[in-house]
Amino acid sequence: MENSAMFLEARGLSRVYRRGSEDIHALHEVSFSIQRGEFVSFMGPSGSGKTTLVNLLGCLDNPTSGELDLAGRKIFGNGNVLSERDLTRIRREIFGYVFQNFYLIPTLTVLENVALPFAFYRKPGARLEEVRRLLAMLGMERRMDHLPAQISGGEMQRVAIARALVNRPEILLADEPTGNLDTTRSAEIGEILQHLNRNEGLTIIMVSHNPNLARLGGRLIEMRDGKVFK
Amino acid sequence: MKSALKDVALALDQRLRVFYLAVTLIILVTATPVCGAVGCDLNDPDRDVARLFPNSSGYRTSYASIEKRGGEPLLRKVETRLGDRFHGIYETVDVPYTIYEIYSGKEKVGYIHGVNEKGQFGGIQVFVALDMAGTIKSFYIQKITSQWAKKLRDPAFGAQFRGMSLKDLEQYDPLAGKGTGKVGEIQNPVSEAETDFRAALRALKKNLILMDEFVFSTEGKKP
Amino acid sequence: MITRYQIAYKNLLRKKARTLLTIIGITLSSWVLVSLLGFNQGYERALNRDIENMGYQIMVMAKGCPYEAATMMLQGGTGLRYIEKSMVGSILKEPEIDQATPILMQAFFDPNKGENGGIAGYFGVDPATYPSMKPFFRFRQGEWFHDDSADEAVMGFEAAELEQREVGDMIFVPEKNVKLKVVGILERTGTQDDGTIFVPLKTLQKVSGIDMITTIGIKVKKDADIVELENKLYKLPDVQVVSLSQVKQTIMKLISTARIMVLSVAIIAILIAMVGVINTILMSVLERIQEIGILKTMGAMPGDIFSLVWTETLILCACGGVAGIGFAIGFASATDFLVRIILPYAPAGGLVVIDVSLAMLTMGIILLVGLMSGLYPAWKAGRVRPLESIRR
Repeated sequence: MENSAMFLEARGLSRVYRRGSEDIHALHEVSFSIQRGEFVSFMGPSGSGKTTLVNLLGCLDNPTSGELDLAGRKIFGNGNVLSERDLTRIRREIFGYVFQNFYLIPTLTVLENVALPFAFYRKPGARLEEVRRLLAMLGMERRMDHLPAQISGGEMQRVAIARALVNRPEILLADEPTGNLDTTRSAEIGEILQHLNRNEGLTIIMVSHNPNLARLGGRLIEMRDGKVFK
Repeated sequence: MKSALKDVALALDQRLRVFYLAVTLIILVTATPVCGAVGCDLNDPDRDVARLFPNSSGYRTSYASIEKRGGEPLLRKVETRLGDRFHGIYETVDVPYTIYEIYSGKEKVGYIHGVNEKGQFGGIQVFVALDMAGTIKSFYIQKITSQWAKKLRDPAFGAQFRGMSLKDLEQYDPLAGKGTGKVGEIQNPVSEAETDFRAALRALKKNLILMDEFVFSTEGKKP
Repeated sequence: MITRYQIAYKNLLRKKARTLLTIIGITLSSWVLVSLLGFNQGYERALNRDIENMGYQIMVMAKGCPYEAATMMLQGGTGLRYIEKSMVGSILKEPEIDQATPILMQAFFDPNKGENGGIAGYFGVDPATYPSMKPFFRFRQGEWFHDDSADEAVMGFEAAELEQREVGDMIFVPEKNVKLKVVGILERTGTQDDGTIFVPLKTLQKVSGIDMITTIGIKVKKDADIVELENKLYKLPDVQVVSLSQVKQTIMKLISTARIMVLSVAIIAILIAMVGVINTILMSVLERIQEIGILKTMGAMPGDIFSLVWTETLILCACGGVAGIGFAIGFASATDFLVRIILPYAPAGGLVVIDVSLAMLTMGIILLVGLMSGLYPAWKAGRVRPLESIRR
């Protein structure tokens, strides 16, 4: 694996939404960089632009202007807009996503939910055994044949984390991963993320307004009014 | 408007006519596709029922066969009572018998039942109208092919059976063609048609035995 | 561990009632469709078989309406027109003709058949030429006549059953007071021959006192030009040519009205089923927008999602199609029965014939229609953007 110092680099990223005749500057000329193996947390009040930023970093959206390099590749820049198809290709190579609302498929078992990405794409080197290994690592080996409705919220988020990891992503993107969980479960998920970062060397970018969770990361970036304050 | 409708009706009629005629041509002699053994039905049940039971208000049709009511053992029993065996390729266990139950209002007032019998020159269909006790109200031959058919179908011949019941017919021996008591007194109107005369009597006896087996014995009103 | 097919069918199980209702809709429409197609080919086949069983393709009759002649015969035997028997010889000179046989139809009134009397019809046939036109006749008892003017009769199965006749028994020709001996009883053929009594031509001529014939049955050589022959026969004086292929066309033309009606019903049924499929799949897509968005973050391309949704459509249609074809085959005899009630003339034998190729064709149509119905919902699902769906 290439040991580049700057794994992710954002330069002057901006995102403007139009609402009626009004332009809303959700993100304003944001620049920063992240190294491989870092655990970076973005914190800020609602409307501070953290979700917009994470969507851009996670290639779920195009910026209005600015540049983004990822793992030595130029992703955004020179005003070119990537199609949904191109974005999908980048996403499946680099990212795993965890969201506040887990989004498990209710008709599939825990095992099937985790294996789901393989039905569409299998990254070279990703192994089927990874599914069971991840579930075991997250303490879910006894729940593999359960349906999502039969397990708790904390367990659902573990399943979602396992699902995000089966294709061995370079970066795990977690958007308010504990937003729907109580304090105890939140702490558990935090521990898991920390473990993944330390023991598996996974780069993690997390958005959270929970200060306890945000502090787990090696680096905390605060956001306000579409700008970052390190 | 009316004439336009009439034209359409005529055109349709013409088409239908051509159609039916074409069909007639193909069929020439119509054959009803019946499978299995042939039964014995009234030619025109509505008319016949009204004629035989002038006070009736309606009728119900039911079907019975020896095969369904008792099979081989019943066949043996019927043959024993008849005093003759069932024979030929048409007198079989699976022949369906049509029994007309006659009603006056809600009350059942009698039965009409016919059987096929092999005659000298063709099939004979012998029908009886019975009251609830099994006594013959009318006897008539619906179909018979013979030079002397007219005499055997004469109401005067049928009238001789009025008032008789199975008890009387039990005195008739179809093998010998002889009977005692009331049956013995029945006159053959044409001596040349002896075969058909005997066939008619055998058919009548068979008819009453079957009615006894299918209806009266099961209703517990054995005559 | 999990395939797209499994994802699709497990998704359909999510709303069981809705899925079931949709499948029932497809089942009904494919049932109607396959029965209709089966009837289409079955009816024509049965009609062809009926005509083939006539043994001859062309009939020559005396001029005057041939239809009327046939009806008259059924009504009482009066008004029949006759042609010379010698015409058979002259007709046989035509090169297209394989065989020709003279037939005399006669009907006698029997006052002792039922209340008002009835008609007994007889077919006078030539023992030398007629049997070879009916090679499929099988005898239940006995055989053909022993002599071309014997006082004998061969009875169709149902005629024999009605008259309770066996070989050796006598029959009685009403009106003429003639007795004939039954020498043969035919097996059931399922055609009008079952109700016919055959008598040697010369015998019937003698009995009726008519030395002419009513009809000539003509069997055409294989590959011969029937139309050409018909045209030649039309030129003969005082005769009427009835081609059974014409009769068939007339019947088929009349049946086509009924066919068009059933076809429209089938098309409407398919359209309704199609709307049902579109509704079901579209609902299911809209309900799952977020899930579809998640699948896209996992790396699913628009085409992957499209094929996933299409697979669901395909499963619905395949289940409904198979069930519909199954019902159609299972209830073919019931359909047959219904068709016979509706149609004034139905040939003998199975009217609804559903074979493998027909089942495949129907399945193909159902799947095609299904895939078309799935097109829009699948396209819509493929276009879902993860960002928007997740943020909802």
